[in-house]
Amino acid sequence: MNKAKMKKLLWAIVKYATLVFGSFVSVLPVVVCVITAFKSPEEYAETNVMTLPKSWTYFENFVQAWKQANMALAFRNSIIILICVLFFSILTGSMLAYVLNRFKFPGNGLIRNLFLFASLLPGIAMQVSVYQIMYSLGWINSLFGYIVLMCGTDVISIYIFIQFFENISVSLDEAAIMDGCTYFGVFFRILLPLLKPAIITVMILKGVGVYNEYYMANLYLQNKNSFVTVATSLFKFTGPLGNQYNYICAGVILTMLPALIVFILCQKQIYGGLAQGAVKG
Amino acid sequence: MRNFIKWITSAKVNKVLCIITFMFVPLALLTVFTYIPFGKMIGFSFYDMKYIGDREFVGLKNYAEVFSRDDCFKALKLSLYYIAASFVQLGLALYFATLLSFKTKGGGIFKGLMFFPYLVCGIAVGFIFKFFYTRGFVLDTVLQWCGFNLDNLPYWLKDTSINNISVAATSVWRYMGQNMVLFIGAIMSVDAEMYEAAAIDGAGGWQKFRYIIFPSISTIIVLNLILAITGSLSVFEPPYVITGGNFGTGTYFVIMDKLAHASQKVGLASAMAIVLLVIILIATLLQKLFFRYFIGEGEHEAIRAVRKRKKREALAAAGNGGVQS
Amino acid sequence: MRKNAKRLLALALTGAMTLSFAGCGSKDEGEGKKKDDGEFSLTLDQIKLGEDYTDVKADLKFLTHKTDVIDTKFKEYITEFQKLYPNINIEYEGITDYANDITTRLSTGDWGDICMIPTTVDKDDLGTYFVKLGDQEKLGETYVKDWLNNFTYQGSTYGVPSMVNAQGIVYNKRVFEESGVKEVPKTPDDFLAALKKIKDNKKVTAPLYTNFAADWTMNAWDAYISASTGDPDFMNSGLTKGKEPFTDRKDGTGPFAVYNLLYEAVKQGLTEEDPTTTDWEGSKPMINKGEIGCMVLGSWAFVQMRDAGDNGDDIAYMPFPISVNGKQYASVGPDYNYGINVNSSKDQKIAAMCYVKWLVEESGFAGGEGGLSVVQGDALPDALSSFGDVELLVDNPAPEGEENLFNDINNDSELGINVSGAIPKATLEAATQGSQNMEELSKEWNEKWTTAQKNNGVE
Repeated sequence: MNKAKMKKLLWAIVKYATLVFGSFVSVLPVVVCVITAFKSPEEYAETNVMTLPKSWTYFENFVQAWKQANMALAFRNSIIILICVLFFSILTGSMLAYVLNRFKFPGNGLIRNLFLFASLLPGIAMQVSVYQIMYSLGWINSLFGYIVLMCGTDVISIYIFIQFFENISVSLDEAAIMDGCTYFGVFFRILLPLLKPAIITVMILKGVGVYNEYYMANLYLQNKNSFVTVATSLFKFTGPLGNQYNYICAGVILTMLPALIVFILCQKQIYGGLAQGAVKG
Repeated sequence: MRNFIKWITSAKVNKVLCIITFMFVPLALLTVFTYIPFGKMIGFSFYDMKYIGDREFVGLKNYAEVFSRDDCFKALKLSLYYIAASFVQLGLALYFATLLSFKTKGGGIFKGLMFFPYLVCGIAVGFIFKFFYTRGFVLDTVLQWCGFNLDNLPYWLKDTSINNISVAATSVWRYMGQNMVLFIGAIMSVDAEMYEAAAIDGAGGWQKFRYIIFPSISTIIVLNLILAITGSLSVFEPPYVITGGNFGTGTYFVIMDKLAHASQKVGLASAMAIVLLVIILIATLLQKLFFRYFIGEGEHEAIRAVRKRKKREALAAAGNGGVQS
Repeated sequence: MRKNAKRLLALALTGAMTLSFAGCGSKDEGEGKKKDDGEFSLTLDQIKLGEDYTDVKADLKFLTHKTDVIDTKFKEYITEFQKLYPNINIEYEGITDYANDITTRLSTGDWGDICMIPTTVDKDDLGTYFVKLGDQEKLGETYVKDWLNNFTYQGSTYGVPSMVNAQGIVYNKRVFEESGVKEVPKTPDDFLAALKKIKDNKKVTAPLYTNFAADWTMNAWDAYISASTGDPDFMNSGLTKGKEPFTDRKDGTGPFAVYNLLYEAVKQGLTEEDPTTTDWEGSKPMINKGEIGCMVLGSWAFVQMRDAGDNGDDIAYMPFPISVNGKQYASVGPDYNYGINVNSSKDQKIAAMCYVKWLVEESGFAGGEGGLSVVQGDALPDALSSFGDVELLVDNPAPEGEENLFNDINNDSELGINVSGAIPKATLEAATQGSQNMEELSKEWNEKWTTAQKNNGVE
């Protein structure tokens, strides 16, 4: 009996020790960023990076980073992009999934495979030719163009929706059709509301992706005076006129904050959503 | 007019209309932003061309060059680091997920802290880890606290014996928590009664994991393994944002990016992309076959298991088997 | 601001891609619009600042790489300029990664009225984007004619340099003196000996700081090739047509000597310990304080290093330590050039002309940034005051018909001279790891270069 107790205690120690260690490693790089962001340039030069700042109310770095990287505009743009992309990609993604799941028609399998294959294509390598297309459409330096592009490059959300539809009984549709509903009506009135969990999943996955996307944003939204996004605002700190680490860290923290706040507020939904994707995926 | 309305609302027409309208936008986007560029890229790979100026058709020369250059396939070897990293990542994620699926004090906080890196933007990751690995900065300081002497520590991004591990570790840092949350979700979906039954049978933690948790989430583990391995072949971001591919950390895509932009060899870079795509396709296919054979995938039993069972059934000559769930 | 930035230029995904359009689509568009006000024939030399066009009304947008002085120096410029031209408003847009982004911006047409012309624009394309600023012959009466070469096509000049850089080494004089280096080294061996002495000085963390992690800084090393030969034709003939140009000349000159200097410095531990995590912004106060001995960068860097702390007087500039027949050279070349949008309205073009002329002749921008002014007879900048009898070397333009030869061979060989800094980066990596010696490296470069020469018809 005693031995079992010992074993249990030992296990508990191992368990919490590893958990603490894992969490420590996960936050350490970011915590150091926070520390550095609160140091004055002189303090930064003189102290070890792990030494806590003298004052936690030294906001100068944040003010500078906010101004230099034009973050007010960046946040505005990112919010617009986020809302539009999420709205349209969820709408079109779920519509496509509905069609693919509910109707048998020639080409159904082909279309599924086309989407699947698309997810294997190397996105970075194709930007050369994508750029030519964006250019000929006149969508360089256009929020609209970027939003359309971001809506189009998504495969995972379609799969999540398809999987979700599989679990919604077809008899529901049939009943509605009997009542004189059109197929459009079935989708918008009956099924879309039922999709809520899947929509949350997609919002999270896609939302994180869109918010943090920098490669294409940098490529297609070049006029940073007007079209900077939160992720590309960080480019301000690179290059020949780069910046001190104090400002960089402050900038990094600023870009992370909204994600952090949303995360803390909607923790449950986020975990639930991801798990949903997992179980179905 | 009435006829028209009737016609348009008739089930059959309505269905076709619905299919067409609902599919139009996604398919148009897929064509314009994926398949047309893909086709163009295939075209580029047969030309000797820069971004500007004339192009010259060279047939398969670019492909021949991909295979004869020593830097391309050498870069693919780096994928081994990332594959190893993804095993570590999945292992850790599974371990923490199992811990956190049972009652744990402060579980929510641990979960949140470990998940958080997933939300950090790629550029920020670059900044954060350059800082993290700088000599005498974060990592070195922490290791000194643990009693290491700075003189015995390597230069994390310079020493070629360790720098690829340093870079790959950042990707573990970033995605472990997300994997963990996925696994927790999968574990939670296991019927709670099974645990209770197991507890009554006196199963310990390990037994529970081995016989209940692991089998029930094997599908998602396999799926993540497949993604991890194909992902490891096409790693781009970590070296791109942290080391710029210097000191032997240039992965296949980083080398490709350099060829395309610093040397303007668009044709060669396109050929490289296609070669990698073929490799990824083959790898995916092999893995699928492999896992189907040994573990089973989705709702299909493992082929090996099916064979065994069939053999058993044949031996027993019982006629009630063969139900493929 | 710097030649080095060219490296970013070519690296630029964006820039490069755009140019594919510069070659096709946008060209037609540009020509189409040009016809509308084809009669525009004003040139810089015809304008008398403060007298002509003082009543012109225009709003100008100016794309600049100098993001650091938009809110300070450029604001003062606008105020000053508006004293002469009260109805011209100028809005600056700073682009952090200018080299990377500007080529792409050009193709979109949405780039304002004045910009700094990227080097990636082909000469025969200049007229598609930019207003002709004058005839080189005519402008050459007041400006240094050779420095207009870069953006002159068939005698017409489309860009005027904002400043001209000399290539040397920025160093901390006090550190050199305190370490017992009395004379500025003139040969690679003297220079390495000096660095060794400095290394014994405990306060110094790196006698030579490469700033490797910043990437574009490594590309600076390529800029010393022509000075290492003392031959103004080397870049555009010696290198492009010469046989195995990277071979060791055994006399401490030539490209080999330049890169060998880097190799030896790294191998002997005279550079920073960890090149992968260098901090560009942090390096400026370090050299100012004397923790760094020197950096191999263009003269523009002198001002930044001088102003980065309280010890500005310690910062000095010296020529690259290679002597050809006992004589030292420093290559001099234009930094970014001002260019005016060919699609702007007539008033905007006139206003832009006035502003560009004012910037070049009156603003004092070049001197303030540590460069030479393109205007004949303007004083040498502080950075070059200690250059003494060093000969300033301007590369001759490529012979007619071979304007693209260097770029073609350079791209084909993947050596990225003045573009990607592939050679100095490989040198540093090899020296750090001890994986290859200089003979092996130079052999490899020679092979790549020779193959590329053959591919481009040079026998």
